[in-house]
Amino acid sequence: MKQLLAITINTFKETIRDRVLAVIVVFALLMIAGGLWLGSISLGEQGRMIKDFGLVAVSGFGLIVAVFVAASLVHKEVEKRTVFVLFSKPVSRAAFIAGKFIGLCGTMAVVLAGMGLFLFALVWIVAGEASGMVLLAVLMIYVQLLAVVAVTIFFSTMGSAILAAVLGICVFVAGQLSHNVLALTRLGKNPLTEALSWVVYVIVPNFSAVDVKAGAVGEQTLAWGQIGLWTAYILAYVVVVLALAALVFRRKEF
Amino acid sequence: MLRRVVAIVVVVACAAGVVAFQVSRPARAPANPRVFVPSPRFFLDFSPSFRTSIADVYYLYMVQYYGEHVTGDGKLDSLPAMVRLVTELSPHFTRAYLFGAFALMDAQQPGVSYEILKHGFEANPGNWRFPAYLGFFVYAFASNKDKDRIAADWYTKAAAIPESPAYLQRLAAVLLGKGGETGKAIQMWGQVYAAGDKFSREKAVAGLERILPTSKQARMKAVAPLYDTMPRQEFEALTAELFKGYAP
Repeated sequence: MKQLLAITINTFKETIRDRVLAVIVVFALLMIAGGLWLGSISLGEQGRMIKDFGLVAVSGFGLIVAVFVAASLVHKEVEKRTVFVLFSKPVSRAAFIAGKFIGLCGTMAVVLAGMGLFLFALVWIVAGEASGMVLLAVLMIYVQLLAVVAVTIFFSTMGSAILAAVLGICVFVAGQLSHNVLALTRLGKNPLTEALSWVVYVIVPNFSAVDVKAGAVGEQTLAWGQIGLWTAYILAYVVVVLALAALVFRRKEF
Repeated sequence: MLRRVVAIVVVVACAAGVVAFQVSRPARAPANPRVFVPSPRFFLDFSPSFRTSIADVYYLYMVQYYGEHVTGDGKLDSLPAMVRLVTELSPHFTRAYLFGAFALMDAQQPGVSYEILKHGFEANPGNWRFPAYLGFFVYAFASNKDKDRIAADWYTKAAAIPESPAYLQRLAAVLLGKGGETGKAIQMWGQVYAAGDKFSREKAVAGLERILPTSKQARMKAVAPLYDTMPRQEFEALTAELFKGYAP
């Protein structure tokens, strides 16, 4: 437990100090402010435009941070050879993976909280609406990104950092589509492709089912039970993926 | 030294070339009505999480497209498809329906406008603006005989929605009276009187004076059904005003 805490704190400090991260956050904030301009040409729909495009920016830049930082977490340790020092001490591989994940989750929480609060304030100032749904939508984006972080860490234990990043993005995209791809495959009435797409549907996290961005602009009504269920689903998914990552990482020779 | 000068000249020449290329481009693309508007189904299937953002992008494009063509060539061929796309991706986007409906009037497509507003009302049954605009569209642009009655029906629906403005009931009552549906008009005016402020009450009395018969007996018969639908106190106050000049 002590080792896990140490790795978590170290990972958090390491990632929060990353300059690339700061640049991305500034860029994301600029993108959100860009919503102001779009709002000005929208015939009185400033609030809606800022919320919608702001949430897309939070989601997009959150994804970039999640994928690129997560992909390099394990590799940095291997390249700098700090991993040898680390594993010469009584630290388990599972604690290493879990610590890296939780540390990055802390950083992601700071980044997304910053962007979310900025967006909330922007909507409040421009549209005069204190939209709690914006904060809820950002929270659910964070929950989605936890799964992306876990998947990217899993891939980074198997291949290169670039490959892990690309696959992480692919999983995010596939997670948006999996439900509909399954529905489309069922139209084809081919049992083999249907079974295959069902397997993919189960393996890939279902992000379209846990998305509340539309709720922020009044297109969706939500119940707390539903949100709790979605969060539990993603957390369960994260646990499974991290367990697999630890299993793969345990087989690595250092 | 010479090398440095040559390098600077090359860089400046390249920069000038880049600027010249950009400056020589047309300021904007020629007005070209978009003949292809993607199907809403495509976005709903392949980008469900971002459907409202895509709707926003097309809404901005729709506003721009309308502004570009309405004062220019007047060709608004793609507008119905755009309005349909935006409203199907974001069924509660009220302004998209309303803007689309008014823009389509400019495109000489009142039928499509009407259908879009009806579609908007189906998706937003709690929003009084849709039936109110439907009533307005029928009253202002339809040419059939019973347009007053149809408009009154829409206004009646709008007035029945909570938080709708009081004038809708008055409009419905006026149009019902004009459309020959005196019984319904009397009922609507009765509601206006019962629920309204001083101004509304004056309007209700004036509206009833226009449609009620002048003979005392006929007038009493016409307002009698209000006894069952209005609160007692309001009914008595209304009848007192309606029979003011009559012998007791």
